[in-house]
Amino acid sequence: MARKDLLDIAALDREEIEHLLDQSIPFKELFTRSVKKVPALKGKSVLMLFYEPSTRTHSSFEVAAKRLSADVTNFDVAHSSITKGESVRETVETLQAMRTDYIIVRHGRSGLPGMIAKMAKASVINAGDGSHAHPTQALLDAFTLKEKFPDSTGKKVLIIGDILHSRVARSTSTILKKLGVDVAYLGPGSLVPRTGPENIRRFTDYKAAMAWSPDVVYLLRVQMERQDVQYFPSLREYHRLYGISDARLEEIRQRGLYIMHPGPVNRGVELCDAVMDYERSLINDQVENGIAVRMAVLYWLKPGSVD
Amino acid sequence: MTLLITRARIASENSPDLVTGDVLISDGKIQQIGQNLSAPEGARTIDARNRILAPGMFDAHVHFREPGFEAKETIASGTEAAINGGITGVVMMPNTRPAIDSATVVANVLDIARRTARIPVYTSGCVTKDRHGKEMAGIDGMRALGVKMLTDDGDTTGDPAILLRAMQYATEFGMFFASHCEVPELAGPRALNEGVVSYRLGIKGSPACAEEIIIDRDIRLAHAAGAHIHIQHVSSKLGMETIRWWKQRGDVKVTAEVSPHHLLFTDEHIGDFDTNYKMNPPLRTQADNDGLLQGLLDGVFDLIATDHAPHTPFEKSQDFITAPNGITGMDTALVSLYHHFVATGKFGWDLIVKRYSAEPRRLMGLPAVSIQVGQPADLILFDTDAETTFTKDFMKSKSQNTPFIDQTLKGRVDLVVLGKEILLER
Repeated sequence: MARKDLLDIAALDREEIEHLLDQSIPFKELFTRSVKKVPALKGKSVLMLFYEPSTRTHSSFEVAAKRLSADVTNFDVAHSSITKGESVRETVETLQAMRTDYIIVRHGRSGLPGMIAKMAKASVINAGDGSHAHPTQALLDAFTLKEKFPDSTGKKVLIIGDILHSRVARSTSTILKKLGVDVAYLGPGSLVPRTGPENIRRFTDYKAAMAWSPDVVYLLRVQMERQDVQYFPSLREYHRLYGISDARLEEIRQRGLYIMHPGPVNRGVELCDAVMDYERSLINDQVENGIAVRMAVLYWLKPGSVD
Repeated sequence: MTLLITRARIASENSPDLVTGDVLISDGKIQQIGQNLSAPEGARTIDARNRILAPGMFDAHVHFREPGFEAKETIASGTEAAINGGITGVVMMPNTRPAIDSATVVANVLDIARRTARIPVYTSGCVTKDRHGKEMAGIDGMRALGVKMLTDDGDTTGDPAILLRAMQYATEFGMFFASHCEVPELAGPRALNEGVVSYRLGIKGSPACAEEIIIDRDIRLAHAAGAHIHIQHVSSKLGMETIRWWKQRGDVKVTAEVSPHHLLFTDEHIGDFDTNYKMNPPLRTQADNDGLLQGLLDGVFDLIATDHAPHTPFEKSQDFITAPNGITGMDTALVSLYHHFVATGKFGWDLIVKRYSAEPRRLMGLPAVSIQVGQPADLILFDTDAETTFTKDFMKSKSQNTPFIDQTLKGRVDLVVLGKEILLER
């Protein structure tokens, strides 16, 4: 089934997810060639509407669109009339008049990309909305995991950090569960909600979580910027309880576990420097795979008629 | 106008049984009730066979937005929405702009009502100036113009010390207090229950305890001050239990209301960020709804009130966090209560008459109206065999931010009579 928008991984069924992951493979193979570009979206326009700062996701989408030969425009939110009080609705009407084919949107408010999708004929891709969803991150995480574990059924992924505020935790755990992966959360009691997550084990103690024998340790960025009140006493205390220290990294190495992180990392908070050089760190694979799955998503979506 | 309504099934607050009879109305009063009454010369006869004849409803919690937000609602459009739903009296909340916090604004509101409304409009007044929770509003000036209810509705009166002193002060004038209950630090700015749905949507929720704490706080303050406290739009089962506990003690005058939407919908209805299910206090869980219904059946809730809260289509079309809190209620309340509760046998017409007509009037110090000889003509006819489809055209409110939009429900308000006038006839 062709979809107009990609707003939330929860809306996709397993077949669609596997289709997108399969489609990402030939796009990734392209990256080893001298010419990394295909004409699939030649003549199509992609508009980047980022209301929140982003380096990785923004450039990943931009590279993906350009490798598909699309024309990419950055809607400069910081210097636009949005700062003069123009509503999102009016902005979307403006974009509509520009007859753009794809709108890639990131916003601090949960649900806002969905609201844009209802108004726009263009395909809308959610590049992260509040604490709600980050579907392309979920796809790239699943793709990265499947490169190491082609049959992911029954594998165990431990996600560590601020679950409450994390759209990555929500979307990535959703896609992993759809692919038969076991997911557990570990973090401070104030940041791992008791109600909400379904069929996900909840840990607040590092040792207990490791005793669950995960195959992958997925570290989240500790997002001080999303915390409206204090959830734990200090970053130092967080690092002591949940951070990957040299000693913990050694244990992870001996067990042969993979480490993932959506970036950007906070050194000395969720991980120590040595993690970046760990031989089973998949952090750079995630970045590379992000471009491939975003190409697959752009290629897969079918914009409404913009004529 | 002389009107003979024949073979109606007459509802009252005292019995679930409907009594079939003819009712003769003239000079704005019910003159005669009996069987096979003959129509006096010049009288108009309405055959009301199988239809319910009930007193006009009274909504003690409505937001009419005038002055200040006339794009959402005016006193004229709001009262027409009331008539459309079989409601013949309302109490306005004071969160207008300027807020209704002084004799000047009260006089202005009542003047607009006199000129533009076809039903009686009462207004509450603020506890504190501009509802800021810091300084007391012009209490005696408002009292002199008939204000009985003091409330900072829309917000809790933040400072308990000022609320306690206002209670000690205004109780001497026979006024009472109505509380919108939430601890702002716990509730945050977002009207969404904390639970499975808030987690799924990635929006920080407002836990039920944020409401329950202030329900208890404000009753305790009233207890200390000897005041009458009315708890508005209770949304949680534990909140209801808190009120029940205080009522059973019996040493503080506490009344409470429940809204149709808190009986009917849960946070699951929000689905994919549907702002027509966004209001404050928020929709909670089925267990809460079940508890609230039990509270209504047991009399923990003295009255039903809609918290009618109109907003423009543009405002409600924004994202869930930005869109304002509240849904409209007056066009839909009675039909939705009939469809979901009376037609399904959960309660009878006696509960509707008692909780949505008689008790809200008594709360305001008004006599309850009933279908009895000598009573003023303040009544409605309700057809239980007909249906109502809540289209945009049907709604008389300026705004259509309601979950019932385009739904078809059982029951229809056919006739509204007030005094010597027929206000509505379908």
